[in-house]
Amino acid sequence: MEYKAPAEAYTGVVREVTIGKGNKSLKIGGENILPLHFFDQGSNPNPTKFALEVLDMEPQDWPEHLIQPFKDVIADPVKWARKCEELGADAVFLRLVSTDPAGKDSSADEAAALAKKVAEAINIPLIIYGSGDDKKDAEVLPKVAEACDGMNLLIGPVQKENYEIVGKALLDHGHDASALTPLDINLLKELNVKLCKFFPAEKIVIDPESAALGYGMEYSFSLMERVKQIGIITKDNMTMMPIIADLGGECWKTKQAKENKEQGLLWEGITALSLLMAGANILILRHPDTLSLVKETTEVK
Amino acid sequence: MVIIGENIHVIAQAVSTAIKERDAKVIQDLAKAQTEAGADYIDLNVGPMKKDPEENMQWLVNAVQEATDLPLSIDTMNPVAMEAGLKACQKRPLLNSASGKTDSKEQMLPLAQKYNCNVVISVITDKGMPPDVDSKIESIMDTVTYANELGIPNEDIWVDPIILPVSTAGEGQRFAVVCLEFIKILEDVLPEIKSTVGLSNVSNGVPNELRPLLNRTYLVMLDRNGLYSAISDPLDKEFMALVKGKMPEIVELIYKTMDGEDIDLSSLSQKEVEYVKTAKVLTGENLYSDAWLES
Repeated sequence: MEYKAPAEAYTGVVREVTIGKGNKSLKIGGENILPLHFFDQGSNPNPTKFALEVLDMEPQDWPEHLIQPFKDVIADPVKWARKCEELGADAVFLRLVSTDPAGKDSSADEAAALAKKVAEAINIPLIIYGSGDDKKDAEVLPKVAEACDGMNLLIGPVQKENYEIVGKALLDHGHDASALTPLDINLLKELNVKLCKFFPAEKIVIDPESAALGYGMEYSFSLMERVKQIGIITKDNMTMMPIIADLGGECWKTKQAKENKEQGLLWEGITALSLLMAGANILILRHPDTLSLVKETTEVK
Repeated sequence: MVIIGENIHVIAQAVSTAIKERDAKVIQDLAKAQTEAGADYIDLNVGPMKKDPEENMQWLVNAVQEATDLPLSIDTMNPVAMEAGLKACQKRPLLNSASGKTDSKEQMLPLAQKYNCNVVISVITDKGMPPDVDSKIESIMDTVTYANELGIPNEDIWVDPIILPVSTAGEGQRFAVVCLEFIKILEDVLPEIKSTVGLSNVSNGVPNELRPLLNRTYLVMLDRNGLYSAISDPLDKEFMALVKGKMPEIVELIYKTMDGEDIDLSSLSQKEVEYVKTAKVLTGENLYSDAWLES
């Protein structure tokens, strides 16, 4: 008798989110199978994407081996973003760290002007994150959204404390929202429920927080896994959104990654591959060699 | 359903002050209100009662007995306070609670035998809290056997599976389902045994205004599975109406939700919709969030 492997069919479908416009756009999500379950019934029309991170000011605490590939462009975010494009990134992730009130505290207007310059200078989609300070982001992100009106960028982090004001600006200016909650599936769902009252669900990406290998990665892994299971298997409307894994910064903060290059690449690479297996739809990396490493690994047929 | 009124507890500042200052009225008012609301027992939750346990407990029990004829549930982890409380009770009391921990077996369970009272025994052991149905059953069987050997019969034992907050990230809903299953199979495993739960813990950590809805719905679900009693709030009128069978339509809807029936929400009133949504959270069908009524 011929053996026939059992194949599951699921009812949930992750919403497909488009970032950017025209030939400067990409799609994430859209799958109706669990991560890498290609043996089941269904498909993942949009393989995992990779973005490289750019800071809006010269990095203060990056080790030499992380700065090295960008040495000639690191003082100029526009050039740095172009370099990321040359290096094969699917998107650029611009982090407006300079706006952090605990740091340089640069103004919302400055940040917005730069964001627009970067968006116009590259031919791949742009993702923009504020400093993560919810109060300052509530000033900065609406300005950014306005300056980049109609470009359909992915902007975040939208948080419980500022979702109303930031969400409204993103909606008015036609952008996607990246909704961030601190490693908790119940809070994650709650933010999506609240955001969806006025914001289209098909323009939301989930940022569940991505911890680095050795620093709590297993929590992020189980959480992403659970988001996918609850969305795809039980069809929970409020978790059927693609996931962004903002992991590069977490990895390069670690002592191990700072110590030497090889260790750093492996730290970022293993974290990236793990979260990819957990179901992340777009991964944010810092080192271009990690990008090559992870792409090489995932493209093996 | 036997309701053990939970409103006299030392976590409430008014109660703790009243005990300290020997202000019987505050306590007696709470006892009367719960009695009038239809409670079957009055719980006296005094915590560890480190200071003058005998004197304090004796005063409290006597004060409450002047205000109500209901039997009392003496709720403390201090064995000295426990014994003083049991001794002072005129009606057959409930010892609340013992467990499978060594010190509880040695100090609390013998008191239940000595004073011939009902006793709450939780599933906790020296190893901690058993996480799933099988390990809970295994733990409670050991402790019940031990109690039987002391001369405490099954019908005097009220087993407590320990309810945990449903809002606990990730795990809370699984715990809620585990307790439902535990109550369902308990009587098959231990004939004649009774059961109880600290009901309001299911809604711990949930926004205050939403807590009663979770408590009420979960009670209906546990009741269906055979729960004998609950330590809960008899002053919640809608809760008592459900307990006393005055809201059969809501109960029916919760049962249908438990059975996974398709329910057309558009044909229901807002209150009915809220009960269905809450039951779906407690069966684990829908992922919990504080906004569970809004989606």
